[in-house]
Amino acid sequence: MEILEQKQNDICIFKINGRLDSNTSHELEEKIFEAIKKESNQMIIDFEGLDYISSAGLRVILKASKALKRSEGSIVLCSMQDYVKEVFEIAGFDIFLPITMKMNDALEMF
Amino acid sequence: MPKGKISFKLSNRLSELETLNKKIDKFSVQAGIPNKCIFEINLVLEELFSNITCYGYRDDKDHWIHVSMSCENDVMTIQIEDDGIPFNPLDLEKPHLFCDLEDRDIGGLGIHLVKHYIKECVYERRGNKNILILKKTIGSDLSDPK
Repeated sequence: MEILEQKQNDICIFKINGRLDSNTSHELEEKIFEAIKKESNQMIIDFEGLDYISSAGLRVILKASKALKRSEGSIVLCSMQDYVKEVFEIAGFDIFLPITMKMNDALEMF
Repeated sequence: MPKGKISFKLSNRLSELETLNKKIDKFSVQAGIPNKCIFEINLVLEELFSNITCYGYRDDKDHWIHVSMSCENDVMTIQIEDDGIPFNPLDLEKPHLFCDLEDRDIGGLGIHLVKHYIKECVYERRGNKNILILKKTIGSDLSDPK
């Protein structure tokens, strides 16, 4: 798994390529919480290059979402492949996490 | 029509997930299983394997977890066998004591996903072994009916 990080205005954008599973999800957690420590509280996760996610990945995203909420920030998820989006829906995460089709739509949410 | 059989064993370590994924992918491609199904099987087996690894043993020893997969007449049958404590990975009601505090809010998330993708899951304790048998209908691009 690869995580590319960039900043646009004040928004931290993480692009994940590969698989987010029990072995790799801690890397995403580290990167996100490093950014939170540096007082970033607006984030987008770009899932275009992600071809697999398990509950371990979902847990990291939930943890991040809670932490950002506490600091009055927000997170938007974008560009998910169908199978990945379905996992979020089965878990009910689409109820409290904004998920957009495209990066542009995600950027517009800030 | 998808067809084939494979059996392999894994150590009870999360690092074995990579091997598990490779075995599933190799078998599934050879057997002609549709991509969506491969995705779902990877997810289900990761969740179950992780639960067995995290909660199924009280000692520090290495243990083998045996997995077999077979495909015939549009049904895939997966069997997972381990020699841990009597433990049905589908039965997690309470989060384990040494899970992170955060995890307690969504204990059972993995099993919720498993139960969505696999409609037939049977657990059996045979002697000193836990045996889990899953059956999944695989079609061209069909998910299991809800």
